Amino acid sequence: MVLFFQLVVDGLASGAIYASLALALVLIFRATRIVNFGQGEMATFSAYCAWQLCEWGVPMMLSFLVAGVLAFLLGIGVFRLVIRPVSTAPVEAVVVATLGLFVVFQALSLWLWGSDQRAFPSMFPNVGWDIRGVRLTASAAGMIAVLICLAALTGVVFRFTRLGLAMRASAYDGEKSLLVGIPVERMLMLGWGFAAAIGFVAALLVGPRLFLSPTMMMPILLYALASATLGGWDSPLGAMIGGLIVGVAESLGATFLPFIGADLRVVIPILVTLVVLLVRPVGLFGTRTVVKL
Amino acid sequence: MSTQLLRFAPAALVAALLGLPLFVPDFLLFEISIAVSYGIAILGLNLLLGFTGQICLAQGALFGVGAYTTAILNVSFGWDPVATLPFAAISAGLIGVIIGLPALRLQGLQLAIITFGVASAFPQLLLKMDTLTGGVTGLATDQPFAPKWFPGSQEAWLYGLSLICAAISIVVVTRLLRGDTGRMMRALRDNPVIAEALGVNLTKGRLAAFAVSSALAGLGGGLFCILNGFISPQSFLPMKSIDILIGGIVGGITSIAGAFIGALFVVFVPGFTTDINPALGGLIYGLCLIGMMMIARQGIAGLRMEKLPAAILGVFKFKSSSRFPGAVPGQLGGE
Amino acid sequence: MTMLKIQGLSAGYGAADVLHSVDFTVEQGTIVALLGANGAGKTTILRALSGLVPARGTIHFRGKDVSRCNAAQRVALGLAHIPQGRGTFGDFTVEENLAAGAFTVTDRRQIAQDMERWYAAFPRLAERRRQQAGSLSGGEQQMLALARALMSRPKLLMCDEPSLGLAPAITQEIFEIFKTLNREHDMTLLIVEQNADLTLQFADTAYVLESGSFTVSGAAAELLGNEAVQQSYLGV
Ligand SMILES: Nc1ncnc2c1ncn2[C@@H]1O[C@H](COP(=O)(O)OP(=O)(O)OP(=O)(O)O)[C@@H](O)[C@H]1O
Ligand SMILES: [Mg+2]
Repeated sequence: MVLFFQLVVDGLASGAIYASLALALVLIFRATRIVNFGQGEMATFSAYCAWQLCEWGVPMMLSFLVAGVLAFLLGIGVFRLVIRPVSTAPVEAVVVATLGLFVVFQALSLWLWGSDQRAFPSMFPNVGWDIRGVRLTASAAGMIAVLICLAALTGVVFRFTRLGLAMRASAYDGEKSLLVGIPVERMLMLGWGFAAAIGFVAALLVGPRLFLSPTMMMPILLYALASATLGGWDSPLGAMIGGLIVGVAESLGATFLPFIGADLRVVIPILVTLVVLLVRPVGLFGTRTVVKL
Repeated sequence: MSTQLLRFAPAALVAALLGLPLFVPDFLLFEISIAVSYGIAILGLNLLLGFTGQICLAQGALFGVGAYTTAILNVSFGWDPVATLPFAAISAGLIGVIIGLPALRLQGLQLAIITFGVASAFPQLLLKMDTLTGGVTGLATDQPFAPKWFPGSQEAWLYGLSLICAAISIVVVTRLLRGDTGRMMRALRDNPVIAEALGVNLTKGRLAAFAVSSALAGLGGGLFCILNGFISPQSFLPMKSIDILIGGIVGGITSIAGAFIGALFVVFVPGFTTDINPALGGLIYGLCLIGMMMIARQGIAGLRMEKLPAAILGVFKFKSSSRFPGAVPGQLGGE
Repeated sequence: MTMLKIQGLSAGYGAADVLHSVDFTVEQGTIVALLGANGAGKTTILRALSGLVPARGTIHFRGKDVSRCNAAQRVALGLAHIPQGRGTFGDFTVEENLAAGAFTVTDRRQIAQDMERWYAAFPRLAERRRQQAGSLSGGEQQMLALARALMSRPKLLMCDEPSLGLAPAITQEIFEIFKTLNREHDMTLLIVEQNADLTLQFADTAYVLESGSFTVSGAAAELLGNEAVQQSYLGV
């Protein structure tokens, strides 16, 4: 039983990572109907910027903040320079363009910082507590806390602010939003910016666990895609809960299902997602079917 | 005049392809043959995505299934490599049908992600079954040697083999696309509900499309194994499936020629860009992809020379080039 | 004063033009009706005016050339457009719809006041503040669309087929509201309608559109019962 709870705690911690990246993906998808395959690599790039600032002697929290702002601007820049020009193209072309973003940002990180793994500073102290035999580290607790903050923040922004209302309206129907005077493109652009910043938060959580490397987000992206599909592509809350489910399922499955074990753990999110989709084709919290690619 | 030219174009193309070994060096011929093996897998994806509207991001894994079938039959059972090719296609086709089962319920983005999960698990699975697959060390296969009477090099002989495989695939696909089957497939893509009402068996149609597409991937994979002479799980990482998708779209997903153009693109362009600047190769390649999609939205095969200047200029015309806001027909997951 | 002055307006979707160089004016404080058969291009005129479809020609709104303004800027200048099919956000609550309508207003006090004012005017909306707009009845949705448009404090209100899908009694009610807005709040209205008889009773001026050009125009009272108007409805 202790092992079970230990695995759940560990799973929730990694789930928090999947959930944050999934949240970023879903925010972009809701607004622009695009899956940004480059999201993870953009986040890695921003994490490298944060690391570089730390290396230059900037205090850790300040460099995270600055890099967060840079990530936001990066999201906006990508929207203006890449997404907007291809936005009228057929969907396949948009997919290749976001795959292009993936390639570009991975190459950029590799070029600027090389392929060596770097130790990435952690936001959380290196302590832990024993609760009836289950070990809860500050970093696990911190990751879950960060996710809860993200959830609360997006919830508040979308529910209660003018900007959030305008962004929701733009995502719901661009033309109707224009008719009430909402500058839709600017809202979509901001959406890309926010999503990039949220993706950066995910990278901040990954960094200390895995070391920083240009490819560190690649495995995470699959989990995040599965989480978003599991939760429903039009539901930010669903994406976050999906992320936690995937995290816990992965951690339990890798230990308790002997034929899967640690090396095949990558099939777990896919299996869980598949089962959920077969029961509920729109995902747990989705409302609309995602039909065409 | 121009129609007459068109009539001779295919013959000229065949002549050019056959004559290629006379003009290009062997190492290039080898790379072209590799590209042809990818092209066959891309052709399968085009059939699936372009003509029946379903997506499979496990095409790289199916390519691997074909490659391992060839390798195992050769290494463990001593078959002649070329004789294994039909079995590479069949085994991949069977597995493709299993992968296609979720496609009966799922579509688009969801199917893409589930199949991509298969692609991600594939290398791990190969490692796990190391008694059969040789694990990390991989498998080295025999190469079919050119017979004595053949005047050209070993590479030219393999190139010929690739062309034969490609020709067979093209014949299969064109025959499928013609006539009733083709109409059924397009109906599946354009409107499954109406297709069903017209008496098309959706289940059978979708699974058949998956089977053929996967079999082509398997054939391509088997050929790849023969050409390369060695395979390991490293050759079938999930990115391979993504490369095949990129090749398909860049070439043009509703075009047979596009499949091979796309294959040449994914085989040669990353190499070229690395030659331009080793450190920045990936960056240039990524920018190429993005730029391509701004200019050739239907893929290279859909590009019309006379429209090219307008397309290039169009990239810089930001006003009114945006689809937001307004109707978003058929976007990723439009309802 | 002239509220809206349009000269040589042409617009279309892609290859062929739907509107062929139309001219018309809307005077301040009047109700103007745009009549025409299905597919005549009425909706296209409104969409061109609010900047949803690209158009050629000049559009002067309250003396200012707005041809180069984008849709959001035109709303901020006081041009409100209730599109065909209401254009409410189905997923949002009634209150959120009104809040979205006030996007161009920055004064929070004014927003709160306006909201209460229109709730008082449309008690049925007040009762359903927290209800999703998509679940309202057709008449309620039209009222919501109207209230939402009014939240932006428009100078000119354009309404596309308000009677669409509504019972005659409700349509009558909506038109009465238009009349009240016009009389008591000095609102200028541009109304697109198929229901010519009813609209002409309420309007001051009317234009009849046929295949993208005006065929008949004049004082509404004179056009009531006019044969040319009837004809344009029976089709060419
Ligand atoms: N989005 C569009 N794309 C292409 N053509 C369009 C589009 N919208 C309208 N049209 C065409 O423009 C013409 C005028 O349409 P419009 O909607 O302005 O007519 P309308 O007078 O409002 O008709 P109704 O009374 O039926 O609403 C029609 O022939 C229509 O087919
Ligand atoms: Mg209309």
